[in-house]
Amino acid sequence: MKIKQIHSCGHPIAYYKAYLPIFKYVFIFTFLFCLRASAYAYPKNSSITINPNHPEIKDIRVKGKVVDEKGLPLVGVTVKQEGTKFGAITNVNGEYELTVQSGAQLTFSYIGFNSQTVSVKGTADMETLNITLKVNTSGKQLNEIIVVGYGTQSKRAVTGSIASIKYDNFKDRTNSNVTQSLAGELPGVSITQAQGAPGSTPIIKIRGTSSITAGTNPLYVVDGLPLENFNLNYINPQDIESIDVLKDASSTAIYGSRGANGVVIVTTKLGKPGQTSVNASYEYGIQDVTRRIDLMNAQQFIQYYVDAHNNAWVALGGGHSASDPNSARTSAYKIPEDFTTNPGQFGNGTNWQDVMFRSAPLQNAQVSVSGGTDKTQFLFSVGYLNQDAVLDANYYKRLSLRTNIKHRISDHFTVGTNLSFTGIFDRTDGVAGKSDVVSLGLQSDPIFPVYTETGSLGFRDPNSTWYRFIPYSDLIEWHPYSLTREIEAQNKSFNTLATGFLEYKIIDGLKFRTSVNANLYNNSYNSYSNAGQGYGYSAVLPAQGVTRSNYSLNWLTENTLTYDKQLGDHGLNALIGYTAQHERDEYSQLVSSNFPNDLVHTLNAGTASSGTSTASEWAMVSYLARVNYNYKNRYFLTGTVRRDGSSRFGTNSKWGYFPSVSAGWLISDEDFMKKTELISNLKLRASYGVAGNNQIPNYGPTSLLSTSNYVSGTALASGLTVSNISNPNLKWEKTNQFNLGIDIGIIKNRVNFTAEFYNSITNNLLLNVPVPDITGFSTQLTNIGKVRNRGLEFSLNTKNTTGAFKWSTDFNLSFNRNKVLQLGPGNAPLLFTDYVVQVKTQVGQPVSNFYGYIFDGVYKNQAAIDASPHVAGTTPGEPIVRDVNKDGKIDANDQTTIGNAQANFASGITNTFSYKGFEFSFMFQGSFGGQITNQLTRYLGIWNGGRNAYAGVANYWKSESDPGDGIHFKPSINPTAMEQSFSSYWVESATWVRLKNIRLSYTLPKSWLRNMPVKGARIYVNAENVHLFSKYKNFDPENTTYPSTVPSSTPSTGVPSGAFYGVDYGSYPVPRVITFGAKVDF
Amino acid sequence: MKNIKRILAITFICVMACSCKKSFLELSPVSNANANNFYKTKADFEVAINSAYATLYVIYAPEEAVSYTEIMSDEGTLYAVAGAQADKWAIRDYTATASNTLVYQYWQDYYKALFNINNVLDKIQAAGLDADYTNHVKGEMMFLRGLYYYNMVQLFGGVPLVTKVISADESYGVLRSPVADVYNQVVTDLKFAVDNLPLANAVPAPGRASKGAAETVLGKVYLSLGNKTAATQVLQDVYNSGQYNLLPQYPALFGANVKNTKESVFEIQYLGGSASNPYSPYWTAFAPVTNGVITKYGGGINQVTDDLYNEYEAGDPRRDASIETGYTDAKGNFVKIKFPKKWEDRTAPVSGTQELSNNNFMVLRYADVLLLLSEATGDATYLNQVRARVGLPAFGSAEYPSAQYPTLPLAVEHERKVELALEFHRFFDLKRTGRALTVLTAKGKAVTEQRLILPIPQYVITQNNKITQNPGY
Repeated sequence: MKIKQIHSCGHPIAYYKAYLPIFKYVFIFTFLFCLRASAYAYPKNSSITINPNHPEIKDIRVKGKVVDEKGLPLVGVTVKQEGTKFGAITNVNGEYELTVQSGAQLTFSYIGFNSQTVSVKGTADMETLNITLKVNTSGKQLNEIIVVGYGTQSKRAVTGSIASIKYDNFKDRTNSNVTQSLAGELPGVSITQAQGAPGSTPIIKIRGTSSITAGTNPLYVVDGLPLENFNLNYINPQDIESIDVLKDASSTAIYGSRGANGVVIVTTKLGKPGQTSVNASYEYGIQDVTRRIDLMNAQQFIQYYVDAHNNAWVALGGGHSASDPNSARTSAYKIPEDFTTNPGQFGNGTNWQDVMFRSAPLQNAQVSVSGGTDKTQFLFSVGYLNQDAVLDANYYKRLSLRTNIKHRISDHFTVGTNLSFTGIFDRTDGVAGKSDVVSLGLQSDPIFPVYTETGSLGFRDPNSTWYRFIPYSDLIEWHPYSLTREIEAQNKSFNTLATGFLEYKIIDGLKFRTSVNANLYNNSYNSYSNAGQGYGYSAVLPAQGVTRSNYSLNWLTENTLTYDKQLGDHGLNALIGYTAQHERDEYSQLVSSNFPNDLVHTLNAGTASSGTSTASEWAMVSYLARVNYNYKNRYFLTGTVRRDGSSRFGTNSKWGYFPSVSAGWLISDEDFMKKTELISNLKLRASYGVAGNNQIPNYGPTSLLSTSNYVSGTALASGLTVSNISNPNLKWEKTNQFNLGIDIGIIKNRVNFTAEFYNSITNNLLLNVPVPDITGFSTQLTNIGKVRNRGLEFSLNTKNTTGAFKWSTDFNLSFNRNKVLQLGPGNAPLLFTDYVVQVKTQVGQPVSNFYGYIFDGVYKNQAAIDASPHVAGTTPGEPIVRDVNKDGKIDANDQTTIGNAQANFASGITNTFSYKGFEFSFMFQGSFGGQITNQLTRYLGIWNGGRNAYAGVANYWKSESDPGDGIHFKPSINPTAMEQSFSSYWVESATWVRLKNIRLSYTLPKSWLRNMPVKGARIYVNAENVHLFSKYKNFDPENTTYPSTVPSSTPSTGVPSGAFYGVDYGSYPVPRVITFGAKVDF
Repeated sequence: MKNIKRILAITFICVMACSCKKSFLELSPVSNANANNFYKTKADFEVAINSAYATLYVIYAPEEAVSYTEIMSDEGTLYAVAGAQADKWAIRDYTATASNTLVYQYWQDYYKALFNINNVLDKIQAAGLDADYTNHVKGEMMFLRGLYYYNMVQLFGGVPLVTKVISADESYGVLRSPVADVYNQVVTDLKFAVDNLPLANAVPAPGRASKGAAETVLGKVYLSLGNKTAATQVLQDVYNSGQYNLLPQYPALFGANVKNTKESVFEIQYLGGSASNPYSPYWTAFAPVTNGVITKYGGGINQVTDDLYNEYEAGDPRRDASIETGYTDAKGNFVKIKFPKKWEDRTAPVSGTQELSNNNFMVLRYADVLLLLSEATGDATYLNQVRARVGLPAFGSAEYPSAQYPTLPLAVEHERKVELALEFHRFFDLKRTGRALTVLTAKGKAVTEQRLILPIPQYVITQNNKITQNPGY
């Protein structure tokens, strides 16, 4: 829960040692230290006085300065004359000025500090009143403002489970998507950088996997606009004030049918009253792929190729021998003469990873201007990111502009607008796995050079001497450049997010707010493949041009009425609201071929060979209500309810209710606790709520007709067929979640500990339930099935040392246990297969177990084969398949669970040190106990049409006297069916620890800046993804090639990609990024 | 009072804002038609019928079961095919297991096709259109259904008989029917088609099922059932219908633009030239893999065995009209590999890795009818018509290679192999005449009586464990 770093006060180290055995764990990772920057410098002169229309005569002008205990000015302190609505706010120098009547009471209040009330006693016309506010140690974090659905709450009043992160927490991180910076920091929130390409959206799963077929992405709420499957790349991280992640169903129930996967609320910045502040920053970074895959070199590959052909030739029988010359062999078994007579000519060959990847620079420049008066606050910002990708020819450029303005027209009316525009130009290849460039590059044979002597890319060039290898159809070359340089491609994306609102204070405490929000997204993609692609691709293909476009407009209107009243000890805050939202998505594509030459790359130069355009829509209407009640600000009770109606739901279930209730007890505020020095904060929270997951296809309930044309004579004859079974009962998935939390602060909150337990049951799972194929369909979309997620989350923040040298530690740990409680009719397991890999979901087990055979090594000799159950015809050197059901034979019934991507637990730890202007922090993140399926095994672990292989494969079984490492079987160009089946040979441990981030910054002393027009300056170095500790063969055990499930507009009977979480089919590596930056305030 | 007015005003605004039209949530699909208001008029049914015919594209696709019977027979084989193709080898080598993904694919595709057909049958029954039209549509659908079940019973043995649209719940109660029951259904369907379909010259559009087409399949079915009398009767009817003739030149039967000739009895209609058309997939699929010259890619399916190549008698023009012996690569070298030539379309435009060919596919043709007639009647006249076209000596003449093919059944077997080569007949022919085991074992195939049918896919049994497996799997 507790994320924000804390500045603090001094206490001896002995204390935490006594109370924190966990500290040992901290020490393991601690190897460096540094210092924390002190607060930003502030200007010396200038003052803007906020002084509302004061009444008249006989008044005293009061002015003064508000400072903290260290004497630093406090900006934005509210100075209010008691009993009136007059007041002022301190400026950037902490100065205020206002006119009051003699004897007036002035209250100084500031978040995180104890309020002070002072009487204006003097009789002079002018009075100076300097105030020192003290940090509210016991309740500091409790007064922190947390953004919740449709409003804010003080942390004190929060009864659900919400993780809140402020800008300071990710300010120097270089990620283009803010959520990348939060990975490992939030217990219960799994943020996976599944692909390393710039701009790739991480996969976010909050509190486990609650859905199999429907979407698992959380709902994003950007400045009040709820967006499903939003890409946070469209929000410049520098513009973000805070991120609040609503985890439990009681917090998310206010988002009704969209809350079940959790809610990520993004709030952008607004200037503070006072002097205008101008911030500029510049970063330069270098990205590298530091962890490479160990593949065979040319010599190893040649040996592998020769043995695979000879083994297969001999296995054909008929007296074949490995020494038979090519002339005696049929074509598939022939071996290039170069391999047998002069393999040395190839040397070590080409390392295609060196060809494909490069050191790539990035630059990021930002300017923002913010400020305002007590009536008007604003922020203008512009940011430009120019990032080359580590993959050849790929890049990512983003321009983001933002204007946020809020203006108080009168005591009753306030208006505001947030307007952001983001334009992204990028080329992003390599993220699709399988046949995309990163995967193909790995499969290319190392014997081929980067360029042939004719300058072409491959051996298919008839003018090259390399053409001699053409007869060997099992030599593989997918030259990375044939996909990056011989294809021109670009995405252009534009996103405009706009919010406008009007607030009307009807009477004190009663406020009406209406807003209109919209998100407009446009994307166009253009590509052109040169004819022949430089002879570097697996076929000499003709030129092709493609253009695609996407359009999406989402609009929302929202009307809420809030009532806020304190009556003695009773505090009440009530909200009712109505919202309506609509989205339309459009897609079109045009493909052109038959280009006469490569001179013109637009489609007009060829002839259009195919084209399509589609559109889909959804709409929803919601009513919502919430009541927050507290007694003595110590006992808290919250109830919410939302009623959602959606176009996606079937006619028999158009509307759903989503209620929640939660309660909190701030025990530490009880009288009996006040004496306890040790415990400064103790709070118990409990909640129960119901939230839905509406990420089902837009037209899921409807029986649709799809095109299936025939031909009549020489013309197309239109045909339509039923593509799915209708289901008028189709509706949202429903998650009921119970949450229990405890927050403990010890020794004046030097140690803060939060523990949470949740039990979440998702009912009415949306499943493409397998139905017997004799119906004509394999599946039917039905709300059936039940899955449980149950977990524990811990977070611990300690201020280990205070004073000039500060050291603090943030640690979190989370456990989630996922179990399927019920599936479709007869609880038939769900088995999905995609390119050999099988995942099976069955009752009593976690979602998506990897399901296949277990290989127990390799048969060393015939005697070993005879001694155990085996597949008929097994020969030495083939894998030992475990007889799982012990029936003495090896068949399909011996398939079993061989792993699951879900981790047993995940953890993150950050240590932060500060001294004078220096601040240093480093963060470790780890995931323990999960497995990953390496789908590239299909290409690189088994002989597959002549592709290159892992270097480890070279230790294969060669003969009974040279049986290799006992893991890698005898290569053959005709691998056995069992060798090609999905097995434990494909599954690896996904346990890993990552040094995720190191940051070092230095705030320049004010004295250095005295004669410059600069208020403050800071320089820093930030390193992301510094080092990975993992045994995984491929780039990264966090790589997942399959995207998280995003519902299509029409019901799909295909394999849900979300079921293949934790399957790596040649993903894009996550690079290490080292950035140098400077930030200057004017 | 002022406050109350304000509250009332806001309440009013809220109520106005909330009184949203009901239709806001009633959104119809934009890019798909909705099944609820379809299947009413004849025009609707013409569109529905087309989708039923379009199932032929799947059932007769190069990667489907009937096509793969070529590699199960002695005519076709597979060489090193790019990618992991264990499931394909297994079909060729009779080692397929119940978890073979191709076998499951076949199963799914047949029942998807049957759904389309049954759906039209159910809807036309309920539509209340005129009786002639209704019976004609039913005849077409039952022709397709009879043809498909006939294929299925040969591939899988007894299969669940689905003759109407069934729900998931109902489907658990539909188990495998005995082989005889499947054949009864096939005969019933085809008889209805024979009685209600027009002659070839009166079909509504080229490619639509005719009486002659239904009779030809029915003739084969009767032969499979050993009923030569009934077979003779329906095949004679085709023979005497005056609708069909042998083309004078065998090579003229094939070509990208050869469509619906006098010899064609039932032909699948393709339209090349655009990736969005149902283009002909055979040329690309049957070309050798990574040839890069004659096709951009090649599927390497149904490559031709020497056995077939050598089956042709000297001077038989059908050999060179049926089989390519290789191709010239980009450097001008000739690469020796035998592959099918019948669906060649070297000038087809290319989209991606696929030639957008135009060739139709003949499921049934008159030469087939003639050879079936000889098989049914024991009369070599029909066989000799087929031989006469290609200038080969008649069976019974002195020049006939009677040493090799001493009896009429063997002569028919030989003639069917060379006349109908690679047209997906050979394996079913051998099964029909009961010669499969003898012939294929002699050619080195590791086949047993039980392996002459495919396994029931494991997944089908997992879904409904009352479905039984074929013996030997």
